[in-house]
Amino acid sequence: MNKSYKSILAGLFALALFTLPGLAVAADSWGLPGEEEVRFDAKVTDVLCVLSGDCPPDCGAGKRVLGLLKADGELVLPVKNGGPFTGAVADLLPYCGTTVTADGLFTVNYGVKTFAMQFVKPQEAKWRRANQFVKDWAAAHGLEAKDKKARSWFRNDETIVEIIGEQGKLGLKDKGIEP
Amino acid sequence: MLRVRNYLLAAAAVSLAVFLTAPGPAQAAQPKRVTVTGEIIDSWCYLSEIMWATGSAHHQCAVWCARGGVPVGILGDDEQVYIVLKMNNDPDVIGDHGILRMQSNEVVVEGDLYVRDSVKYLAIDTIIDDHGIVNHSHDEFDIQPFGD
Repeated sequence: MNKSYKSILAGLFALALFTLPGLAVAADSWGLPGEEEVRFDAKVTDVLCVLSGDCPPDCGAGKRVLGLLKADGELVLPVKNGGPFTGAVADLLPYCGTTVTADGLFTVNYGVKTFAMQFVKPQEAKWRRANQFVKDWAAAHGLEAKDKKARSWFRNDETIVEIIGEQGKLGLKDKGIEP
Repeated sequence: MLRVRNYLLAAAAVSLAVFLTAPGPAQAAQPKRVTVTGEIIDSWCYLSEIMWATGSAHHQCAVWCARGGVPVGILGDDEQVYIVLKMNNDPDVIGDHGILRMQSNEVVVEGDLYVRDSVKYLAIDTIIDDHGIVNHSHDEFDIQPFGD
């Protein structure tokens, strides 16, 4: 085998590592209570719809709590994605009513099982990091998600700035208590 | 041949039974009417225990997380965590301004309780009382996280 052929094979192998599902994507441990690294298929659904039958066609347009309904009937509650101080609704909403593969961590504490989603793979599509909220926030502010202001979105978001301005960081400004 | 037909019939019956019993919108659960007194919390920080996550010490972070789309919860006086699906009959609870301004407050609410796969979900139709922030945890824990 000549040298250039070996280089091509090495390149293809490296490419496969980064593109084949299941090889490059795996949940990182966060040391959570009752943590379990998991990957499962489930239908993206509006939790209120599953529980009460109140089912808007678009899963509530990103304003409702979303869940992942597995084929065995288990309703998984995703409370977190991979971004700072952000949930998984923005990651799941585009796939409302369809089945995705979710990768991340179950955590069980105080008898409550929830899910921190780190990656999501829609059917017939590539794996994506679950960090859509920051991407959307950055885009809405004309920024790249990697920009410092977007990475600290929680200190720069206009609504948060307004509320913390009114209530104070402790929420006790009206009582004259501030840090 | 008869054995194959019986097998197929049995498989079809099992499939039908699974389909009919599978939970979903068509078979909504019956809720229980409840009144809950407790603190409005950020479900993630509390359940993951990544920081002190109640009261004034965590107020700013609770606003951040609620705005970022983390489901809002209520830590009841019964020490149970309830995930809020509706507040004041409004199902728009993700990133919503109304619920953002109630973070860390002690409230008395009434609504429908659904329990599914270890999670208690609360569809609140009535806010009976809102006491504001009564848990002054910053005295002990400063501001969580980062200290500012």
